[in-house]
Amino acid sequence: MKILVVEDEIKTAKFLKKGLNEAGFVVDVARDGLEGLHLVTEVEFDLVILDVMLPSLDGWQVLARLRESGRRSLVLLLTARDSVQERVRGLELGADDYLVKPFAFSELLARVRSLLRRGPARSQETIRMADLEIDLLRQRATRAGQRLDLTSKEFLLLTLLARRAGEVLSRTLIAEAVWDMNFDSDTNVVDVNVRRLRAKVDEPFPLKLIHTKRGAGYVMEYDQ
Amino acid sequence: MSWSMTSRFAPLGRWWDTLAFRLTAGYAISGLLTVFLATAGLYLVLVSELDRSTDLFLADKVNVLRTMLRERPNDVDGLREEVELESAARRYEQFYIRLLDQRGNQLMATPGMAEQLDLAQFIAQTRRGRDRATALKGKRGKVFRVTSAAVAVGSPPTHLDIIQVAVDISQKEELLARYRRWFGGIMLGTLVIFPVAGYQIARRGTRPVKEMATTARHISFSNLRERILPEGYPVELASLAATFNEMLDRLEESFERISRFSADIAHDLRTPVNNIRGEAEVALARARTVDEYRDVLGSCLEEAVRLSDLIGDLLFLARAESPLTHLRRAPVDVGELLGSVREYYEASAAEVGISLTMTASAQPIIAELDRPLMQRAVGNLVANAVAHTPPGGTIVLGANAEIAAIRIDVSDTGVGIPPDALPRVFDRFYRVDTSRAQASGGTGLGLSIVQSIMVLHGGHAEIASQQGQGTRVTLHIPLS
Repeated sequence: MKILVVEDEIKTAKFLKKGLNEAGFVVDVARDGLEGLHLVTEVEFDLVILDVMLPSLDGWQVLARLRESGRRSLVLLLTARDSVQERVRGLELGADDYLVKPFAFSELLARVRSLLRRGPARSQETIRMADLEIDLLRQRATRAGQRLDLTSKEFLLLTLLARRAGEVLSRTLIAEAVWDMNFDSDTNVVDVNVRRLRAKVDEPFPLKLIHTKRGAGYVMEYDQ
Repeated sequence: MSWSMTSRFAPLGRWWDTLAFRLTAGYAISGLLTVFLATAGLYLVLVSELDRSTDLFLADKVNVLRTMLRERPNDVDGLREEVELESAARRYEQFYIRLLDQRGNQLMATPGMAEQLDLAQFIAQTRRGRDRATALKGKRGKVFRVTSAAVAVGSPPTHLDIIQVAVDISQKEELLARYRRWFGGIMLGTLVIFPVAGYQIARRGTRPVKEMATTARHISFSNLRERILPEGYPVELASLAATFNEMLDRLEESFERISRFSADIAHDLRTPVNNIRGEAEVALARARTVDEYRDVLGSCLEEAVRLSDLIGDLLFLARAESPLTHLRRAPVDVGELLGSVREYYEASAAEVGISLTMTASAQPIIAELDRPLMQRAVGNLVANAVAHTPPGGTIVLGANAEIAAIRIDVSDTGVGIPPDALPRVFDRFYRVDTSRAQASGGTGLGLSIVQSIMVLHGGHAEIASQQGQGTRVTLHIPLS
């Protein structure tokens, strides 16, 4: 998968390239709007990460010309300004998603992956990971054949982590997905719930599946 | 029009713009008008009274002669006395009488009449308006009032004679002239006195305004302490001064809030930045193990997240104050909303031994609200309650429908808030217990955000607390 990052801030461009490379993407960087537009018309990219505030040609103009030229590359806008009007303007011009600075890299990665996921995710009936098995139809989870006694929210949380295994999920994303809470709460509500889930899912077993990524969130993974 | 006037006659325009000038002009014009009308009215009354008394005199004379001619047409001596001698006895207001026959031949006349009056003009003038007195200028410059009448002679009448009477009214004319001079003098005096007095009154009247303006000019944002002393002003201006002072109080308070807010922002931004900077600096000072680097980076990331959260909250507050902010209202089941918040915080509360419950309302409450914002407001309140309630305590969420509003209560059995801190808890960055709040990771903006969300909904938040007993925050939202 090829991604173009159009960003004039050198440090931002650098960490985006590094992070996306490590996540398995091929990344090109353009330092201003004109260069970005040139690259997009020359090379086929799957996704363009486009900063709005750019020298020579701003993100809106790049986006407008890109759509005029008929390129169907996905576009993720980055902006420091968070207002409804800006969001609407971006989406009207044909952006596929919108992210406000400062953002968590894990959040960006999650959005990039969900944008690039072709078609809807396969509707699975069971998710398996090591000795963990989640039966989505009957709403029950087992580990090493042993039934896990989970509340409905704990089950949702476990499913979320398992579905997106390997992805670091931020606390905000978890709160939004499991509890439909669309704000950053001051308390460590998500931490408490993950801790409770771990007590049931991981503690009794030698192989740990749920891991804390300090400052970023949680991830479900295991070393094979 | 008036604008071009003032610009063309700039100096006059400036003058006219002063309150003193307007008042002075108003006083002077109305004063002059009053005096003018009064004196002119008196003059007109005097003129008409003088004319009337002269006319009565003339009519009297005509009447006497008419009676004599009718009753005793042959008493020539009597007539002669009446016509020739009566007048001679007078020094002022002399009068002249002439008796003519039908053909205009003079029968008898007061001596000297021909010298004083142009008799031909007399005849011509009185022929036009017989029986009515008119003014006639005499040969020697004196003014006369004259009349004439045709009277029947004898009874029964044999023929008609004509009586002409003229009375010297130059004395009266002089009186009127004197009066006119007085009138002019009074008007002249008025013209001088009224503007001067008016100007003095106006100046005295507007002096407090000028003083206030001087005080107001001294007030700048670095010197908001100055006030206008309300003593010694007339009632109207004293109330203006008091209003002005109240405005200054409010201004001073908001300035203080803003400057405190800026200082707080600076402090709250500085702390995480300082941590990042210091930790990175120390870490780079010499070679470390991978774990040590990981630890430092993790800590830096935590601080950065704290900074992002703070910036996010500040942006939220700034946006909430913008008049362009619109809520995305949709019908929300308030009970269901509280339930979702309760569910979210349930585990955290249980972890520290607090029971988090909800009182059910009799029937579902549906209101047009911005759901994510309301979730955030109630969430902030519950988070606060969890942080400030000791183990074993209780937090209760409740919603009530009132006549045109809904009420949401979040009450706890926590440590409470000291009474002196209570009015300030909705202020940005205000923390009751600085050390504790810092440790709990709050930005100190939670309650400000709650209040902003309420204001956006047209409502308000209220807080009541008893130290050691607990705290209750109530959200009042009018139904739109």
